[in-house]
Amino acid sequence: MIFTGADYADLGLSPEELQNRMGKWFAWGQKMEQAGILRGGEALTPQIRRISGENRTVTDLTSAEVKEIVGGYYTVEAKDFDAVQDIAQDFPDYDLGGTVEIREVMVFDK
Amino acid sequence: MKDKDIDHLFRHHSGKMVSVLTRIFGLAHLEIIEDAVQDTFIKASLSWRKEQPKYPEAWLTKAAKNRVLDIFRALKTQKKHADLLSTGTDVIAINELFLDKEIEDAQLRMIFTACHPKLDPRDRISFALKTVSGFSTKEIASALLTKEDTIKKRLMRARKAIQKANLKFYIPQGNELLERIESVMEVLYLIFNEGFHSNNKDQLIREDLCGEAMRLCQLLLKQKNTRSPDVYALFALMCFHSARIEAKISVNNEILDLKQQDRSQWHFPLIVLGNTMMNKAVETDCFSCYHYEAAIAGEHIRARTFEDTNWNQILQWYEALHALQPMPSHILTMAVICTQTKAYEKADNYFNQLKVEDLEQRGYLFYAAKSDYYSKIEKYNRALEYINLALSLVNNSLEKDYLLKKYSTLSLKV
Repeated sequence: MIFTGADYADLGLSPEELQNRMGKWFAWGQKMEQAGILRGGEALTPQIRRISGENRTVTDLTSAEVKEIVGGYYTVEAKDFDAVQDIAQDFPDYDLGGTVEIREVMVFDK
Repeated sequence: MKDKDIDHLFRHHSGKMVSVLTRIFGLAHLEIIEDAVQDTFIKASLSWRKEQPKYPEAWLTKAAKNRVLDIFRALKTQKKHADLLSTGTDVIAINELFLDKEIEDAQLRMIFTACHPKLDPRDRISFALKTVSGFSTKEIASALLTKEDTIKKRLMRARKAIQKANLKFYIPQGNELLERIESVMEVLYLIFNEGFHSNNKDQLIREDLCGEAMRLCQLLLKQKNTRSPDVYALFALMCFHSARIEAKISVNNEILDLKQQDRSQWHFPLIVLGNTMMNKAVETDCFSCYHYEAAIAGEHIRARTFEDTNWNQILQWYEALHALQPMPSHILTMAVICTQTKAYEKADNYFNQLKVEDLEQRGYLFYAAKSDYYSKIEKYNRALEYINLALSLVNNSLEKDYLLKKYSTLSLKV
């Protein structure tokens, strides 16, 4: 599951709201851990350096300049996309315009 | 679970939690962190009185994660940490820090902080016991046979030193590591000795001190960078000593010396482990004090009876140890060994190198050893003189009884 959304700081949430949301993230992680499906994950810091085009143009961006920023991902073990979709129901930030993108890790086992 | 087991679990867990939280928030906020963790345990002990959770460790970890939020909120309100935790996904990274491997890493960082040269050597043990091992000030005071106020002052001073030097929370590398690990080993050695050699009658506290020193030593051995022959030797020494810890206390809760201990009570698995560690320790030719101390302890363990002890070998190890780290107490020990093996000339030679002042508070041991020496060479009048001198210096009542017994035996011979 790859998570995209705005930075809380840029949305101007109060410390109470932040605490509340963090609590939901913790609870979600806990739930997956207890179900034994969590295989790890990583958070990304909001600094972005983008290199693009044939001239390898370099741009430094901050989260405020990018509406949708990839904040991190969780790797979970599940039967199929539908199963992960169920898990993703608990993602805490839909109301802030956040998105969960489900992708499958490629495995060669032919 | 009994109360003392809960205490033990809390102690163990709070050391872990303080380390992990410090990794998240930094040493600058250590006081807030320690208060928060303590608060968690107070709440836990209240709620557990009604009903104990099925998985106490998981319960505590969850509680600690909630504390992250509280601390975070407090700091956010104070605007001291504006850049920290700005998105929900940061929780993913924090969750990782609560995995066992990361907890160990955090604890190693805390050990290196506690043993930092910027901290007064006297404060290091108390600070390590508090932050790494989760002892309360009361428990530290009782473990170190010191007043609680003194411990509080030491902890305060250590915290101030950390803030003043603005210490970072990390495990040193390269040349810095070589220097810093020396002081870590020294602190672990001292913590172990407090447990092993102290006259503290509380067996549980003694075992906890030894256990903590061994656990922390194992943490050093687990990581490639911090592992070294010296650390193996230190761990071997701890194994050999702790194999004897139960045999050291009689049924009447009296401390028994090597001669009186029931050797069949020595804990065999620890001896085996000590041997394995010793083999690792001697893979290179460079020996530290810990190598020689472990060799001495190992030699005692090897003897089936006290009479079987290979004193000549032990004397050699002491000579090597003394060459590396000259200390009056080593000279005294060598004099005692030579008296034991009837090498009287040599014993006299060692005694002549010493003055009673060299041994500070343990001066009575010097006089008692000299008394033994004169008694062995049948100069009972001199022996009596020295036992009187020893009695005039001794404070500890157990030791005093022991010397008084000797006195009465001697007076019959004069």
